[in-house]
Amino acid sequence: MIGYLPGRSPLHRAHPYTTLALAGALLLGAFALTQPREVWLLVAAAAVFSAVGGVLRASARTALLLSLPIWVLLFVLHGLLGADPRTTVGPVALSVPGMARALVLGGRVTAIVLGFLTALATVSPHRLVEAMTAGGVPFGRTFLLASTLTVLPRMRERATQILEAQQCRGLRLGGSPLARLRALGPLALPLVLGALAEVDEQVLALDARGAGSAARRTALDPPADSAAQRALRAALLVLVIAAYAWKFWSMRG
Amino acid sequence: MTALVALEGVTFTYSGAARPALVDVSLEVAAGDVLAVAGETGAGASTLLLVATGFAPRVVGGTLTGTRRIAARRCGVVFARPWTQLTGLCATVRDEIGFGPASQGWPRERVRSAAEHAMARLRVAHLADREPAQLSGGELQRVVVAAALAMEPDVLALDDPAAELDPEAADALYDVLPAVAAAGTAILVATPDRERAARVARRAVALAAGRIVARGAAADVLGETAVAGIARAAGCPPPFPLDVPALLRRVAR
Repeated sequence: MIGYLPGRSPLHRAHPYTTLALAGALLLGAFALTQPREVWLLVAAAAVFSAVGGVLRASARTALLLSLPIWVLLFVLHGLLGADPRTTVGPVALSVPGMARALVLGGRVTAIVLGFLTALATVSPHRLVEAMTAGGVPFGRTFLLASTLTVLPRMRERATQILEAQQCRGLRLGGSPLARLRALGPLALPLVLGALAEVDEQVLALDARGAGSAARRTALDPPADSAAQRALRAALLVLVIAAYAWKFWSMRG
Repeated sequence: MTALVALEGVTFTYSGAARPALVDVSLEVAAGDVLAVAGETGAGASTLLLVATGFAPRVVGGTLTGTRRIAARRCGVVFARPWTQLTGLCATVRDEIGFGPASQGWPRERVRSAAEHAMARLRVAHLADREPAQLSGGELQRVVVAAALAMEPDVLALDDPAAELDPEAADALYDVLPAVAAAGTAILVATPDRERAARVARRAVALAAGRIVARGAAADVLGETAVAGIARAAGCPPPFPLDVPALLRRVAR
């Protein structure tokens, strides 16, 4: 699951900037924290963030799938090939500082991916556009951000249609990994070429609808923002700055 | 009446193309005109619409020679494939239709009013709260036409607008056009559907290999059916009904 999931959770109802600020704080916080225990507290915070958004199950599964290859890589690079001292776990001698490093890096990746997926699942692109429009952000930047958030679901939908069409014409899915790899050809080419072919018309259509107009767009239904949410965003900013100040102060010490 | 669009000896070549898509084209379209553009696939009808509305070469690139004057403040364009004309940023049909007016910076009340009016015209008011991506091709095409009309364009170019519509919806779409033209919008419609085009257009041009090969009264250029001939002989005011059901509807009115 990567993309917006409609819902009525507090994150869905919050101003999009608030949800994005929480995800941003997780991202920045991940790099400010250096100890395994701190980073894993951050992973727990990301899980709470996801649970509050009502998307924990879907987001966590995808986050684990996405971060699993990185975990394997970190385990090999730091756990197996890391510096001494070592500890023996079963038949394997693991690097103690390497494992600590792997836990920090892996925890960071997991927290960031989980936070990002949660934000994707709970921030409606439409509400984000309205919020940015109300904030006076130029349409080009708004479109860039919103279309980035929606590109994966759109590509997935198109890929499903192409696969169904190809299956109707005899494409067989499944089988060995090699057969699955071969099936990517009939999917990837029409997916890319189709997207490119439609870009011209989409650009024309957006231009015809005034997307390039110099006038400031009217926000039709801007999401409500409250003093409490603005205060929360400010507090997150202070927290992140404090975390970095603590990190650099500790490094100096 | 002052021409909203005037082309004199216009030749247009797409970037990288060996031959021009339009050659020495001259025509004028004034407020209230409905001009049908006929031609086989590749004849240049779609390009003529883009040139007449100013989107070529400004948006699509290419080289234009000759004289082009566009006095229109706003030009709308509708293509045959409705799914490429969605913004992808709107959660409801109402917002999709209001996107263009909002881009002009109109006050919120005016945007809402323009959207409601356009939805009523195209008979899509019942779809107002639906998600655009969930509509059928026919519904979507009517939404896209409504979105173009909501911007209150001075010139509206329709490129095969009924390609996705069933016969009744196509009739409904073409039935709207005379009223839109009567309100002062110049309409250019490129379509292989000569019967419906002849029903709404007073003038027509026929293109072949980018050149205008015929121009004149729509019935003459697009070909006249026996029913239209009878209606003409009987002294019916144009546009003439082209088939028996259209004749019966006219008699019933």
